[in-house]
Amino acid sequence: MMPDKAKTGRDASSAWTPDTSVPIVYLNGVSKSYGRIHALSNITLGLSGGVTGILGLNGAGKSTLFKLLMGKVRPSAGEVRIFGEDPWKNPAPYARVGFVPEHEKMHDWMTALEFVATFARLHGMTKPQAEHEALRVLDFVGLSDVANKEIGRFSKGMRQRTKIAHALVNDPDLIVLDEPLQGCDPLARTTIMNVIRELGKLGRTVLVSSHILSEIERITEQIVIVHQGKLVALGNLHAIRDRLDQIPHTIRLVGDDVKHLAKDILDHPAVYGLSFPSSDELLIQTYHFGALHAELPGIIVQGGHRVREIDNPDDDLESLLTYLTGGGA
Amino acid sequence: MSRQRPDSVWRSLDRKAMAVAEFTLRQQRKRLSTWVVLGIAMLAMGVLTMFYVDAMVRDYDAVDNDGDASDFDQDGYPNGQERLYGTDIFDETDHPGLLNPPVAPDDRSVWVNEDDFDWDSLAEGSYGVDDDGDCDREGRTASQKDSNGNGVPCDIAVSTGLFGNTVVDSDGGVDEDPDDEAYAKEASHRAFVLAIGKFGFVFLLGIFIPLFMATGLIRDEMTSGTMHFMLAKPIARTEVFLYRILGFLGIAWPYMIGLVGLVALITGFVGPGDGMFRWRDLGVWLSVLLAALFAVLVYANLFCMLGVMWKHGIVLALPFAAWELGMILTTLGAPDAAILRFSVIGWAMNVVDAGAAMAWSDTGLLIAIGMWGGGNGPLEGAEALQIFASDTGLGLAPLPTMIVSLGVLMFQAVGCWFLGGALFKAKEID
Repeated sequence: MMPDKAKTGRDASSAWTPDTSVPIVYLNGVSKSYGRIHALSNITLGLSGGVTGILGLNGAGKSTLFKLLMGKVRPSAGEVRIFGEDPWKNPAPYARVGFVPEHEKMHDWMTALEFVATFARLHGMTKPQAEHEALRVLDFVGLSDVANKEIGRFSKGMRQRTKIAHALVNDPDLIVLDEPLQGCDPLARTTIMNVIRELGKLGRTVLVSSHILSEIERITEQIVIVHQGKLVALGNLHAIRDRLDQIPHTIRLVGDDVKHLAKDILDHPAVYGLSFPSSDELLIQTYHFGALHAELPGIIVQGGHRVREIDNPDDDLESLLTYLTGGGA
Repeated sequence: MSRQRPDSVWRSLDRKAMAVAEFTLRQQRKRLSTWVVLGIAMLAMGVLTMFYVDAMVRDYDAVDNDGDASDFDQDGYPNGQERLYGTDIFDETDHPGLLNPPVAPDDRSVWVNEDDFDWDSLAEGSYGVDDDGDCDREGRTASQKDSNGNGVPCDIAVSTGLFGNTVVDSDGGVDEDPDDEAYAKEASHRAFVLAIGKFGFVFLLGIFIPLFMATGLIRDEMTSGTMHFMLAKPIARTEVFLYRILGFLGIAWPYMIGLVGLVALITGFVGPGDGMFRWRDLGVWLSVLLAALFAVLVYANLFCMLGVMWKHGIVLALPFAAWELGMILTTLGAPDAAILRFSVIGWAMNVVDAGAAMAWSDTGLLIAIGMWGGGNGPLEGAEALQIFASDTGLGLAPLPTMIVSLGVLMFQAVGCWFLGGALFKAKEID
């Protein structure tokens, strides 16, 4: 869907050329404090290519990390580089960056087309070029039919997509999205997730932050987990998850005859405890979540049990953090 | 299709400048507060102009400044006519009607405003014409006719006093009964142009329009979070600062030009004069406009900088506005006071005073003869003009004064931009 670069409005006049020998995003021992509050502590990270999910609870330091990358704040210690440049000192690399801020406030009096085109001109495009590119990216995020409507009349999801379009207008190599799914309806969520995945497929470096594990899981496997200002995990989500499976876990089942089901499950070697919070609810404690989770459907079908719901209350970011931080989350 | 030209850094800078300036202009236009501020400013200037129009169209009482329309001896001949023919003004049995041939008595009104100022010859040195012949009448000695001793009989010697003030010394009986209405209108007209120019356009609008419209140019975007969109682009913060100011000027300058032009047109047509339009005033209006545009430029940069410095920057701007008020009042009385160098308005006033000195080089004399008023001053309008007209403060000729002052104002604007840009650059944005 994204046209090739030769056809886009990337400004040929751009005096700045990126250093391709260094990671696109590079942080070395970066700390950021606001007075006595330590927002980030000693973060070292290098990223190039693909979609990376930045996971963390609210206030973990995700936005601070992005603000450092976008030159909005100055690191208290360490060095921040994007395309090898210090963003606090030099805004030139932003010619290759698209940023979707978390802030909800937009220029509501503008139409989506005006909004995207106006900011496209800050990349050095001419007015007609900017409008052409704006229409292209608005189409990419599925807003071409409302391009001439005022942003003030948009739903939350449409606003987010407008922000994403504005960040893509310069055909960036690095796209930074701060909580892009927050407050969006399911349709907008799906569209935005597709857009992000597509960007990843096109070889762009995408950083997307969220505090919801399942959201990130649907977008990417590559994650960075930030907790209380520290980087607690970096790598493949499934690898982390596999290790998470080895720790005590709870599976919750809701059905008509959960007591009979409990009998069939009790003998399973992975199960070490059962409880019944209500007459149609069963909680299973296990040491091998992955194994049990795989066998559970078979056991249910064989025993002819009727189960309405299966979920994993522990399978969220908090549990992951509890595990990763050794219970300190 | 437009011709393809190679892009240069400058061309791309142009585009960014235009984009931010255009965006700012549109943003200001969409705000109700913009129209409220501009509307109130227009209303205030409109009300002041109405007072002016009223002063120009009303009738002034013709005052018999020298008392020669009186008839002390009640013989039917006004004193002036009796003096002219050498008869006794206190003896009713001695009057020009008894001369051979007899002279008919003049109507008293003939002896009111009968020896007007000679506008066309107003100049330093010697001027004045004894229109009613009461100076140059028979029987007066040469020394009586040249009491000011400048060697010219029946004239007014004009010289520069010790403090640079204009001194008027009449031979007596010259221009002693001026046309009060003509003087009042000319003096009031000039006083109004200077007053509304200095206090209205340069000071009030010059300060308050930037105060309300430019203080938030950067600050509002930072507090609302929308600055993130702009700063995530390959554009330096000092550029953003500058282009936002340009966008503000895009609305403030045309507004100023329009409003000054409108008032200049009204006063040009309504003001006193022989022609249909007072073309000579345009020089003054041009200097008022220049001063106002530069004042807006400096204050916009200054207030925008204060907004960046502190989100309640307007609190810092208000004491500054008070300081400027003190300074503009100082320019009226002591335009050469050294403290004025530490203000914006002092330099802007220099521009207006220099323009006025060029377009109306005779204002000093007009004030002096009005204060003298044929020996019975001050005439109406003279004091007002004395308050609002000032000498150029730098001790230079008008043109160099204007050039230097505009240069200083430009320097102040650039200084504030530089400082504001540096503050903005060092600012962490949440």
